[in-house]
Amino acid sequence: MQDVAAMPELLGAFLTKESGQTATVTSYEAMTGGYSRLMARAEVRWQDGSTETLVLRGDPPPGKAMMETDRDTEWALLSALGQADSIPMPKARYYDSTGSQLGTKAIVLDFVAGQSLQAHLNECSPDAGYGRHTFDLVDTMAAVHRINPDDVGSSIPRPTDWSTYLGGLIDRFRQADHNHAESNPFLRYVAEWLDANRPPPLPLRLVHSDFQPANIMVGTDGSHQVIDWELTHIGDPREDLGYYMIYSSASGPNLIVPDPEAFLARYREKTGFGEDTINMATLGYFSSLAAITVYGQVLAGAGAMARGQNSGIMTTYTLNALTVGHNNFLAGCIPPTL
Amino acid sequence: MFSRPTTDQVILDCRNELLNAVDSAVSDPTVKITIQMLENVLRNVAERAAHEIAWMHEETDLMIGFADEVETTLGKSDELTAARSAYNSGRSDSLHLDDVSKTYGLAGECFSVAMEKVFAASHTALHLRSREILAIRLDHENKIMGEWAFVGRG
Repeated sequence: MQDVAAMPELLGAFLTKESGQTATVTSYEAMTGGYSRLMARAEVRWQDGSTETLVLRGDPPPGKAMMETDRDTEWALLSALGQADSIPMPKARYYDSTGSQLGTKAIVLDFVAGQSLQAHLNECSPDAGYGRHTFDLVDTMAAVHRINPDDVGSSIPRPTDWSTYLGGLIDRFRQADHNHAESNPFLRYVAEWLDANRPPPLPLRLVHSDFQPANIMVGTDGSHQVIDWELTHIGDPREDLGYYMIYSSASGPNLIVPDPEAFLARYREKTGFGEDTINMATLGYFSSLAAITVYGQVLAGAGAMARGQNSGIMTTYTLNALTVGHNNFLAGCIPPTL
Repeated sequence: MFSRPTTDQVILDCRNELLNAVDSAVSDPTVKITIQMLENVLRNVAERAAHEIAWMHEETDLMIGFADEVETTLGKSDELTAARSAYNSGRSDSLHLDDVSKTYGLAGECFSVAMEKVFAASHTALHLRSREILAIRLDHENKIMGEWAFVGRG
């Protein structure tokens, strides 16, 4: 995928084989903006004269990934979501499951015209506010959490019950510490705090796990399409609320902060969840808890680098995300009073 | 060896060269983002190079002091004794970075085990003391991080 000179021919042959009609790739370029996977954009002319733009999403070379996720799982998940028409998202079209044709395991998706929500937010003036974007973001998050978990079939694991699931999630802090190249007391502190302060349960739902505005494409009519489902799992939907809270605190704007109660009220309205489970306290709790999915991946990359098994600017650059995580862990874990 | 310019000064000079000489000669957007990331990493490591040994020493003393305070207040436990024993046998007074880092890691394990004991005992005063030490650690991390946001996302 990285060999821009060779890819038009390779991709053309791949698409021809997969689709059954001759495809000619008229342009191919690497895309910026994705951190974990290689991304590219290709213009394709089909045998019948039609043209379209496609997006490729593939694995970086071995030892160069800032996080390891499974393309087979992602393809199965995207296919299931697409088949069930669960939520607006770019259609996953083809998959090189071995990497033998595109140089690396890669999924070919529909291209979405328009900008990401992050780009739209960057154009807004904080003083003037963010208009419809705040509630649009809430509505899209709620739409993800309204997806029937049955839609994804067996493409991703289904936890048995909320309490066991939450315990496992908390234990990932301890495992991340145990597996790392040095002791990390933040992780052990947070695990203890989260165990001692468990919130009321919610039904297990689909959790995007990297829910942030750069992963939402906005159409010309303002509609949203959610992308980048590589970390998606069945879990507690509040993980996405908490993750969005901490992500946007590090890479703003944070659309919760101007009016948190209105944000949460809208989310409750769109999901049907009650105020006993969706409130400021649970937002704080899940701001600490939810970070572990991405944090754990970044820490694993750092550990691999410390052991000489990984390299690359993405790993060193995202070390700061660990510090962002530590800040949020402590902020979310309210201390006791004497 | 020579010590001036210091390591952080040398690194920051490389950063300036990267921004002033290399970046302006590059037009590829993916490489431009890599340069922005490199600039950030160079700032981070300059700060680390200037202070990390002193900071790790300071924190090590605080973490071991806390572990001892927990043992005195809440009594001995097998886990804390084992962590303390590993620290005593593995620690070093060497100022070489790898040795300081190893000692710091062993102290961190003592601190973590002690915090778990504090949670199990619901001891509020020691809980708050552990947060003070975590806050000092975090302050050092924040100084290394400086201004940081995800570049190239959007």
